[in-house]
Amino acid sequence: MTRLTPTAEMTLGPFFPREFAQGANDLTIVAGKRAEGEVIEITGTVTELDGKPLDNVVVEIWQADAKGRYDNPNFFGWGRAATDAKGVYTFRTIRPGRVGGRAPHINFLILYSGLMRQLQTTMFFELASDPVLNVVKAKERLVAKREGTVHRFDIRLRGEGETPFFDD
Amino acid sequence: MSWTVEPRDPRTQSEGVVAGYAHTARRWPSQPLVVRPHDTGELSGPAKLERRLPPSKADLAGRGASRALGQLIHVRARVVDEDGAPVPGALVEIWHCNSAGKYLHPNDSSDSPPDPNFRGNARLVAGDGGLVELRTIKPAAYSVPDTDGWWRPPHIHFSVWGRVWLSRLVTQMFFPGDPLNDHDAILNAVRDPDARARCIARMAPTAGGPGNALVYEYQLVVRGRKAAPRMP
Repeated sequence: MTRLTPTAEMTLGPFFPREFAQGANDLTIVAGKRAEGEVIEITGTVTELDGKPLDNVVVEIWQADAKGRYDNPNFFGWGRAATDAKGVYTFRTIRPGRVGGRAPHINFLILYSGLMRQLQTTMFFELASDPVLNVVKAKERLVAKREGTVHRFDIRLRGEGETPFFDD
Repeated sequence: MSWTVEPRDPRTQSEGVVAGYAHTARRWPSQPLVVRPHDTGELSGPAKLERRLPPSKADLAGRGASRALGQLIHVRARVVDEDGAPVPGALVEIWHCNSAGKYLHPNDSSDSPPDPNFRGNARLVAGDGGLVELRTIKPAAYSVPDTDGWWRPPHIHFSVWGRVWLSRLVTQMFFPGDPLNDHDAILNAVRDPDARARCIARMAPTAGGPGNALVYEYQLVVRGRKAAPRMP
């Protein structure tokens, strides 16, 4: 039986086209209609060793809808943003519901120059019991800080306060 | 259809801090990556991603008076999964520098000249057979700033979506026979020589192909295979 080896991932490099990263960070509207659920904003700063903010980091997300479904034709659960010169990314989306035994969460994927391959992490809304959160030591670093309707989720690639990342 | 994604093989995938590539020591996590169970969120993905990311023309080179400088090439890339099954409908983003080694990007501070006729990037949807085809010009090699003589060999960046969230693939395609391939810190961070060789395109016969363009073929294997049926 055929078994191909996945192609080696390589770094995104510093020159990911700006236009590729635009127009895909608002998940609340699908085909001109507002998706059902509570609208929230997710924002954060992506930093490297010593806390320096990083420009043009690509952040992609994948999440369930308000009822915990991934296959809702009226909600597109995928989005992409790139950080600005201050290292800040922003999404507007719908607060996801529980999926089976999983606490509400949003999967994040980070692509950047100097990362030989993608990094995966997950944002949670509270310190809940969850089979993924349970395997992480620094759990609180995966919980967004709520400021009104804004959820702050900073991503530290390396160093003090480093974000936990997953090996998939 | 349910999919399964197995752990990466460290010989055929690179990670971590790489000698000669200083940014890796500032950006790759210092803590070990955590193995987690996979659920629907990891083993599903967006359908018809082109609803969010509209496709573009499959031509970066232009024609006539507005033709980009450089050697015309025709890239045929095929997206398949680990079963070898084509992934029709896969979205593929492609970008590379011009024939002088300059990217169409405000952050590229090199003094190599821009080419107003070179379009810089394309976003394509794989057709039947998982195939995308791009008419473009061959990118040049360029030196990497603030390094001790590191030159990137000519390469083309690919960003690909496969069947599920964990199938995401971002990689670079290299050209056969380029002497810089043996010295590139990024290509050679892949330890397995066969895996490295698969990152180099194959030059295909030009007979029957598009006129005046060299033809390069490339295979992009995204992670994921059909899950084995559960035992009753």
